[in-house]
Amino acid sequence: MTALPSGGFLLLSSALLGIGLFGILTRRNFILLLIAIEVAMNAAILNFVYFAAYDGTTGGLGGQAAAVVIVGLAATEVAVGLAIVLALNRLKGSINVAEATTLRN
Amino acid sequence: MNLETVALVVLGLIALVTAALALLVRELVHTILWIAVFFVTLAAIYFLLEAPFLGVLQLGVYAGAVTILLLFGVMVTRKRIFSREAAIGIGPLPLATALVVVVLLTYSLGELPQGPTTLHSYAVQDLSLQLFGPDGPWLLLLGLTMMSALAGAIYLVREGRE
Repeated sequence: MTALPSGGFLLLSSALLGIGLFGILTRRNFILLLIAIEVAMNAAILNFVYFAAYDGTTGGLGGQAAAVVIVGLAATEVAVGLAIVLALNRLKGSINVAEATTLRN
Repeated sequence: MNLETVALVVLGLIALVTAALALLVRELVHTILWIAVFFVTLAAIYFLLEAPFLGVLQLGVYAGAVTILLLFGVMVTRKRIFSREAAIGIGPLPLATALVVVVLLTYSLGELPQGPTTLHSYAVQDLSLQLFGPDGPWLLLLGLTMMSALAGAIYLVREGRE
């Protein structure tokens, strides 16, 4: 049982989401794009874990359970993302997402 | 100001700085080193939030597996591992969008009760009961997603496919 300022975690979480969003909007390298998505997803996980600790009833455990599921989903997403990176690198010779325009025409 | 608050401020600042550095430095290998520090810092924050199982999970899955996967991705896609990325032009639109999201989220924090709150801890046994009891369908769905992702990833990286 510890007492912590409630706004701190949520402020941190929203700032991390902002950094992740900025990365998603600016970076064109596929691996950096994946990393930016991971930062944004970690912000969401932090929110779930914080509200689980904030609640204190048995219902609060649902927050931690959701965080466990999201960690698994994020790891899966990175694995599929890197498979796409390898396929993109073989097809185009580059992992710049701005060059992956095969379906545009 | 108690010790936990000091730890939260320090860890929070490290997390913000490392996340920003990871997305701003120009060498991909340095990006992955910074993101590894970010994942470890978040694990420490989960320990601070009395969620030790999630802290260990964060260390194992993110700081361990995801970092190695990303490093492997960098390793196989470039000729020289320390080649630099093109510098990003920090355009006004992405920065403005990110700032608006942060300001809106911070504004919505005013709805919550302010001041220090007591954090509650749960036993890991209760978490497993929750995961395999009421939240069982989510876990099952996660398993199915992972299976289909595995099949999809193997299909994508298969050799000799046009």
